[in-house]
Amino acid sequence: MGNIPLELFGKTLKNPVMNASGTLGYGKEIEPLWGVETLGCYVTKGLSMKPHHGNPLPRIWEEKCGMINSIGLQNIGIERFFREYFPFFKRKKTPVIVNFFGFTEDEYIGCAEMIKPDKQIVALEMNLSCPNIKKGGIGFGKEAETVYEIVKNVKTVTKIPLLAKLTPEVKNIVEIAVAAFEAGVDGLTLINTIPAAVVDVNKRTVPIKGGLSGPIARSVALRAVYECSKAVPIPIIGVGGIMDVRDALAFLMAGAQAVQVGTATFLDPYTIPKIIMELREYLDVNNYADVKNIIGITHDQ
Amino acid sequence: MVDTEAQIIENKNIVLDYFLLKLKLAKTMGKIMPGQFIMLKIPGNEVFLRRPFSIYDYDKDILTVMYKVVGKGTEILSKTSKDNSAFVLGPLGNGFRVNKRDVYLTVAGGIGIAGIHFLIKTLKEKASVFFGCSSNIETTLLKDITHLNPMISTLDGSYGYKGNVVEMLTNYLETVENVDQELFICGPEGMLKSLKASINKSKISCQALVEERMACGLGLCFGCVKKTIDENEPYKRVCKEGPVFDLWEISL
Repeated sequence: MGNIPLELFGKTLKNPVMNASGTLGYGKEIEPLWGVETLGCYVTKGLSMKPHHGNPLPRIWEEKCGMINSIGLQNIGIERFFREYFPFFKRKKTPVIVNFFGFTEDEYIGCAEMIKPDKQIVALEMNLSCPNIKKGGIGFGKEAETVYEIVKNVKTVTKIPLLAKLTPEVKNIVEIAVAAFEAGVDGLTLINTIPAAVVDVNKRTVPIKGGLSGPIARSVALRAVYECSKAVPIPIIGVGGIMDVRDALAFLMAGAQAVQVGTATFLDPYTIPKIIMELREYLDVNNYADVKNIIGITHDQ
Repeated sequence: MVDTEAQIIENKNIVLDYFLLKLKLAKTMGKIMPGQFIMLKIPGNEVFLRRPFSIYDYDKDILTVMYKVVGKGTEILSKTSKDNSAFVLGPLGNGFRVNKRDVYLTVAGGIGIAGIHFLIKTLKEKASVFFGCSSNIETTLLKDITHLNPMISTLDGSYGYKGNVVEMLTNYLETVENVDQELFICGPEGMLKSLKASINKSKISCQALVEERMACGLGLCFGCVKKTIDENEPYKRVCKEGPVFDLWEISL
């Protein structure tokens, strides 16, 4: 069988498949069906310095081939996560990427300072892009200069490799990727949800504004991964509308070192284990000795 | 909990927009608590997310769901023919806890009967049943529990008490005093709200089954929360911490 372990920031992951932040709860919730040790790496729900309660209802809406969410980053905070949940990942020897966010630049820095290096932590994933935070959030990820500044400042307070998760809602995502790279970021997660809204025609209202995800986001994400992976020499994690192994392969071939699966888990909670198994099968059938051999294969054209 | 393939063996219109869906499961779901729910997917239709449904009845590998056509998902489901395959994830969430009491009062408003029916079947003769609906046509929904002599209210007065079920229940509660009793309720938010107001003085124990738009059903996404009175945790997940909540802990 093809080899699917992946070296990421000096750590060995079993496979290149992760969950997207906020789509696998705190990890324990999936245990009745399959264990987090199946993942190449568990990505935490977006964590903040203090617990954050999130947005009022409605928080989700179905669209054709996708969904809109406006959860508003409800979370128990960094301190409680490390007390109540991190030991579970340690016990299960499951690598973790800690996704975090702040409402101000100081809060981003504060989060990065609070998270202490640990052999189980692969990277910090800085959410520069959630469309559901009113006080700032998205502002940090939209301009190259702001991205440069915040990445640089966060880098000074942590020794843990830093990933920047970028929003597609920018004029030129490659410019933002380059700014993050020049500021010293160690990798990129591309992309976050796409800002979207719903109009209720009967009530003549806008019941929800939030982030669009699911298959409808895939081609937007693929373009970002393809172009940014050619522009910057750092690992890119691809995310957006991955529903099956073919989608995962498309992201790897476009230049992603690893992939994250989000909305698909809601439709079929076994999507992640299925993708991992079928990725192995694909490599085997197509005589690839290592998953590395397909990463960025489209760049050779 | 399982995610199992199933076969639709019946999908029939009972009355008005109410349907009964019977599924034969390829794998048994094991023990089920009344009030728990499933996430249902019918492959091939244009519905993107799975839909949550209360477990109306369950026996070995036959699962029954009662639903009312209210939106796109249920409309498509109502047109799905027998023999179609389906995927059933469940049982999910925390159901009703049956504490030792002298009297169990079960209260349902309209399609709320879908959430409380399995509890009534479990409690059998120990259950007092209160059901509120629009007119006598909907009383058909109670046909397999008529032996429990349900107390029925209709808004148009065409059967039983004229008015809403909360008024009927409140009148009943005034006639009984110092009884060790517990309420189990399922119905629209307005109904829960008016019940809470009307029993605010007596603070009778009450478990309420609530519904919310859901994506995962497993507690993964935090999309289906209910507002609570707990300042430290003002939003609890309906699919994980619910769908049954202590009425006094939720904010309506």
